Amino acid sequence: MIFIALKYMFAKPRQTILTLLGIFFGTGAFIVLSGMMLGFRAYFVEQLINNSAHIRIQGREDFLTDHSLDSSFFGKSVQHIFWNPPPSGRKDRAIIENPHNWYQRLASDPRVTAFTPQLTISMILSNGNASTPATVTGCDPLRQLEVTTIGDYMKEGRFEDLGVGGNRLVIGSELQKRLGIKISQNVIVASAGGLAIPFKVVGIFKTGQLILDSMSFANLMDIQMLNQTPNQVGEIAIKLHDHTQAKRIANAWTLWSSEKIQSWDEISASLFNVFRVQDVIRYISVGSILIVAAFGIYNILNITVMQKRKDIAILRSMGYRTRDIVTLFFLQGLILAVTGMITGLIAGYLVCRYLATVPFGGSPLGEGTGHLTISFASKIYIHAALLAMSSAILASVLPAQAAGKMTPIDIIRSGAE
Amino acid sequence: MSITAKHVHKTIGKPPTRILHDISLEIKEGEFISLTGRSGSGKSSLLYLLSGLDLPSSGSIVLDGHSLLTMSQHELCRFHNEKVGFVFQFHYLVAELNALENVLLPARKAGQTLSRLPHAQSLLEQFDLGKKMNRLPRQLSGGEQQRVAIARSLIMDPKYVFADEPTGALDTVNGELVMSIFRECNAKSGTTIILVTHDPGFASLAQRQIHMMDGKIT
Repeated sequence: MIFIALKYMFAKPRQTILTLLGIFFGTGAFIVLSGMMLGFRAYFVEQLINNSAHIRIQGREDFLTDHSLDSSFFGKSVQHIFWNPPPSGRKDRAIIENPHNWYQRLASDPRVTAFTPQLTISMILSNGNASTPATVTGCDPLRQLEVTTIGDYMKEGRFEDLGVGGNRLVIGSELQKRLGIKISQNVIVASAGGLAIPFKVVGIFKTGQLILDSMSFANLMDIQMLNQTPNQVGEIAIKLHDHTQAKRIANAWTLWSSEKIQSWDEISASLFNVFRVQDVIRYISVGSILIVAAFGIYNILNITVMQKRKDIAILRSMGYRTRDIVTLFFLQGLILAVTGMITGLIAGYLVCRYLATVPFGGSPLGEGTGHLTISFASKIYIHAALLAMSSAILASVLPAQAAGKMTPIDIIRSGAE
Repeated sequence: MSITAKHVHKTIGKPPTRILHDISLEIKEGEFISLTGRSGSGKSSLLYLLSGLDLPSSGSIVLDGHSLLTMSQHELCRFHNEKVGFVFQFHYLVAELNALENVLLPARKAGQTLSRLPHAQSLLEQFDLGKKMNRLPRQLSGGEQQRVAIARSLIMDPKYVFADEPTGALDTVNGELVMSIFRECNAKSGTTIILVTHDPGFASLAQRQIHMMDGKIT
């Protein structure tokens, strides 16, 4: 039947090509859109995994509820207590109660590559008249370099120089811009407690991410001193050998720990929600193109079936079976789908190859790679092929079945011409 | 082997309209039969029942020893493909296929396209279409198209040829040419020809004439 199906299709080349273009553009658009979105996503996730800790252990922030103080004031004997106004606020500072226990545990855990204690404080940084609020993270510089890739983004100076101590600071490029400061110059760091100490800028880093580049790092002990909280640790950043195990390990530790323990993907949960929305938009936009193409196939096949009624009659009278007639019309949809899909896959791939060479600098997103990050994951091509094939096949089935139901005698009686 | 119809009735439509009434006849192998009658007398309906393209409302039709009512779709399709040739008034050629490809359509179904190719070519040459084998139907005259349709009906060397007013849309010269092909085919190959015609002259060329009136054989 493929011979007759091809003859039918070649007899109306314009109609065939137009339908083909629908599937072609649908498939190609899916590959290009998915390649760009998933490529960017993979780059972003890689940045997340490499630039920050895989697991963060933080002091749990407990907040007062309407009945938090009931038992403290009235014991357990009194019920139905109503406060006016109800108690509110945080119970205590978010610090890790016994960080040394964690250090021992983490040092002996074979799944842990490295860890570093941190204390992140909001400060006011000023250089002459220029001042800006910023967070300063106190850390163990050598361990911090093992946990994150911050060392790779140093523009000037060395991150390790923080290890010497003596009020040194490594700042992000955005912060540098705002303060108008150069390396080796001093910046005044003022804490919420009112203490202001000059810190020497020994390094400047630039990751390309605005939030990260607005941060600064110092030696943990210097920040503890400035904050007047010696030995206090706000969080422990951990790097694992296998980042995919982060959530499972964090969940396991949460079971016996009073601290708040989160894996990198839990910390960035909102970002993954954005990715899900992106997926929905991607499938809807490409689905719309394919639905239009599928309607094109459906309409054209329907018209063809009506125009070819006498052919159906004569073929049936020659011994062609119902199945043959269904195949004849279904094949036309299938050929369009396969051809449109294959050419769409190739065109989509070639466009992606080209896009991957397009320079993409000057914006924060372009800093890391210097060009567009495109995904060539096989699942994109499999999804595109499945979408194109399923839409075209669904559109072909109904007209083909309608053709199969026609009997030669009905067609002859109705006087088909 | 033959075609036998016994007490065949046929009703169509809603409300039911009886178009054939108590038809009984036997067509022997090698016969040349003409079915005549006025428009609406039921001759075409009888032709389609005898060929197995349509089913009777009641009564029985036996094709080559097999009851039409008990034949599976597969058996009936095979019977149509191997043993039956149809010729219609309006040719019913596939517009996208050339003359040779149209003739080979039944052979294509049987998977004998290549083995039947010489036969198809000789049939077209025999019908004076040797130089027009590669032409599309729209590039042929009405008479030529009908000769292509007859060649197609004969490509599988069928035992039966059913022709529904094959000369109806042709001029006298082409009509006579078509009739001479049927007569020659019947005489040389022993093909059973069942022909529906309005024309008494063409009907008289048949060995036996069956006249119909108001759905009955008279």
